[in-house]
Amino acid sequence: MGRRSIAWRILALSAVLSLVVGACGGEATDDTTDETSATDSTTSGETGGDVPNPDVLVVTVNDDVFNLDPAAVNGNDVGMDVILNVYDRLTAIAAEDGAVIPSLSTEVPSLENGLISADGLTYTFPLREDVVFSDGTDLTAEDVKYSWDRVVEMNLPEGQAQLFENVAETRVVDDHTFEVTLGAVDASFLAFLAAHPVASVVSQEAVEGNGGVVAGQPNEYMAQNMVGSGPYTLASWERSDRMNFDINPDYWGEPAHLPVRWELIVDSPATGLQAKEYDIVDISPTDVPSIEPIEHAVVDTSILDLQVLQIGMNMNIAEGALPAGDTIPLDFFQDVRVRQAFNYAFNYQGYIDGILGGLGGRGSFILPVEMYGYDPDAPIYPTDPAMAEQLFTEAGYWEDGFTISIASDQTHEGFTGAALTLKDSVEALNPNFHVNVNAVPEAQFDEILVTDPLPIAMWSYTSSQYSTPDAYLFDSALSDGRYGAVNSFVDGYSDPEAIDALVRSARTELDEDARLQILSEIQNVLYEEAMWIMPANEGAPSARGEWVTGHIENPMWPRPSQYWAIYDK
Amino acid sequence: MHRYIGRRLLGLPLVILMVSILVFTLTRIGGTPIGPYLEPGMTDEEIAALEERFNLDEPLPMQYVAWLGGVVRGELGWSAVAAAPVVDVFRQRIPASFELGAFAALWAVTLGIGLGTFAARRRNRMGDQIAGVVAVGGASMPAFWLGIILLIVFWSYLGWFPHGRSDSVIWNSLPHPTNFYTIDAILAGNLNALRDALWHLVLPALTLGYAAVGIVTRMMRSSLLDEMGKDYVDAARARGLPENLVVRRHARRNAFIPTITVIGLSIGIMFEGTVVVETIFGWPGLGNWMADSVLSGDQGTTLAFVIFTSILFVSLNLAVDVLYGYLDRRVVLRRT
Repeated sequence: MGRRSIAWRILALSAVLSLVVGACGGEATDDTTDETSATDSTTSGETGGDVPNPDVLVVTVNDDVFNLDPAAVNGNDVGMDVILNVYDRLTAIAAEDGAVIPSLSTEVPSLENGLISADGLTYTFPLREDVVFSDGTDLTAEDVKYSWDRVVEMNLPEGQAQLFENVAETRVVDDHTFEVTLGAVDASFLAFLAAHPVASVVSQEAVEGNGGVVAGQPNEYMAQNMVGSGPYTLASWERSDRMNFDINPDYWGEPAHLPVRWELIVDSPATGLQAKEYDIVDISPTDVPSIEPIEHAVVDTSILDLQVLQIGMNMNIAEGALPAGDTIPLDFFQDVRVRQAFNYAFNYQGYIDGILGGLGGRGSFILPVEMYGYDPDAPIYPTDPAMAEQLFTEAGYWEDGFTISIASDQTHEGFTGAALTLKDSVEALNPNFHVNVNAVPEAQFDEILVTDPLPIAMWSYTSSQYSTPDAYLFDSALSDGRYGAVNSFVDGYSDPEAIDALVRSARTELDEDARLQILSEIQNVLYEEAMWIMPANEGAPSARGEWVTGHIENPMWPRPSQYWAIYDK
Repeated sequence: MHRYIGRRLLGLPLVILMVSILVFTLTRIGGTPIGPYLEPGMTDEEIAALEERFNLDEPLPMQYVAWLGGVVRGELGWSAVAAAPVVDVFRQRIPASFELGAFAALWAVTLGIGLGTFAARRRNRMGDQIAGVVAVGGASMPAFWLGIILLIVFWSYLGWFPHGRSDSVIWNSLPHPTNFYTIDAILAGNLNALRDALWHLVLPALTLGYAAVGIVTRMMRSSLLDEMGKDYVDAARARGLPENLVVRRHARRNAFIPTITVIGLSIGIMFEGTVVVETIFGWPGLGNWMADSVLSGDQGTTLAFVIFTSILFVSLNLAVDVLYGYLDRRVVLRRT
């Protein structure tokens, strides 16, 4: 027998053996005697009563993690969820009712307990003395000061350092007492500390031993590694595939029930839940119809998202900046009648029923339904074509019509769906009205929105998710806020100074009743000014296997779930 | 032969250089490397700080020189998508893609050659028709559709095969000196891990390789039919050789010559298909990573990937040519 013939036979035999060995491997997952490896799912053919993956909580996310450093993570990175579970902050959000509770601090500072100074500017935090980082070092007030100071000193554009701009000074009183002085009174400060990853406490020793702090430069070690004090530790991270989290044996609080495995960028959560491979799946409203029929799935659609869908209007149009074909004048959106007309034209119910599959609601201007301070009695625009026509006529655009472009981020169907709904709504009013929708990839969309001057008249996107009402207002209502400065809200508002003063007062008013009244007044004023179109508050459905226990639907928690430690099977 | 290989290898850096200049220029013109970091509402100062970090204030040629210098030093930059150095991510992901590609190619080539031979020897009979159906199926079924169907049937409902590359616990229990799951399992003498690795490979390899089966089958069939009609085959039969030996030892060897070119091409095309297959099966390979990087505007990763695929394709072409020369000595003599 020739050598070539033998070689071919060996090759063929190897191929056959591979298939045979692989075919025999399918039942191996149930044959293992290794107790710790009992994490493979039960087959869907087995009867109910079996708990799949009994020793680990498997959670899917349909996005990727970009950064694990509290100083560098941005507001849309699911890495925020990881940071919230592996690092601690001075305060926390209670699971049941969203109240601010102690965490690293043994008490929540207040005027009553004297831990907030009489002028409302200085906060004193007595720290727990039994907290250690996962590398065994003690957590002291020095670490808290270091953690906050490094965020400010690094001041990364992609990070959230601006959230500390009201912090005037941080002080270490002693090893277990930390003090912070604000530049201005902030009624939301404690809630911000509880819920925002940027306020997380990192190990000074770990950072200094791995690149330290360099102004304007990210820390590569901190982007990939975590030395925290929270209920979990990061065990492994296989990029764009999965992350494994172990229970922290040295955690100072109630220990977690189960280790966690995060499956990243899962495009088919329904298929995996059907196969009992996943326990909690990250879904959008459009996934609900495919998951509800799964007999062992529990779907909760009661909560609305804290991110508010928004359509922006450019009040700072520069000559020649818009796409060729747009016929609107430079001051088009500076006329409040035009802005209101677009609001009246939009088909809100059609958008919610169609694009969002019925899972959505109407928030106010600008607050989402589930946010503290939301006023259910605040006015919102109904779909009223007659009113839209009247306003367009008064503004002088009815006869000649116009052509306008809107950009949308095509990564989420809600964004482009809103743009298309706007197109249908406006074009249905008048055959001389034309709306061109430019759906582009996320990277390109982000570039468009940071280009100065804006090369687009309108855009469809979402607000960030915040834990305090004034954060939404500062972002989307203040004339020199993030969007106000770029869009030149000052040219659109009837009285920008008065509105800005009102918005700022919502942050500095410490009396709760008075604060709620201010927030209500703001929502009424912003309704009249109509600086945005607010298509909807998207639903935030959650889905899990029926074997998952301890699950709590807290609207303040970002999806897919904030505190894994409370879940069990 | 050696001079021929040497000449080809000497030309490789020049090809890579030209491709890198072209791709670098196009990516810079078409976007910005700070794309993954941009957020709506960023101030001009924040954008300027990002641009300074990535040397975007330098002229384009200087940016290229700086990037090239990094490549020469082995620094391919930071992957914003993976939050890790590009080199590290490559090291982790290349074995995953190669392992999948190797098994896909193995079964595609084995089945394609076998089916093509089977069909040629049963020309216009039932066996030939069946082989034709299998081949057309591979060419006509989109990989994304096939993969999803296989997942729904064999993973979701029957539970016979798993999703992803590995069982997390088994994977974490194994050292990974090579990052090839199968090889690491063999090196560790862990049969459970080897079984897990192969079991996870079945569905994605089947999906990825099936398109190539059709091409290889048809090429092998037509080449073999062509050879079997030649005089030397008749002469071999006339000498009394068994038909199996005539086909295997004489006709098929010459039929491989055009088929190998097609195999090389198919493997190259198969590599492109890894983007879809890896995404569907949650396979942590290069294709998956590339898709995310391109959509996120992660230019550092995209550039590194383009360089890598350039080297891969040129190397594959060289390997095919060498094999060609080995199979047909006339080719080698003419070129040297």
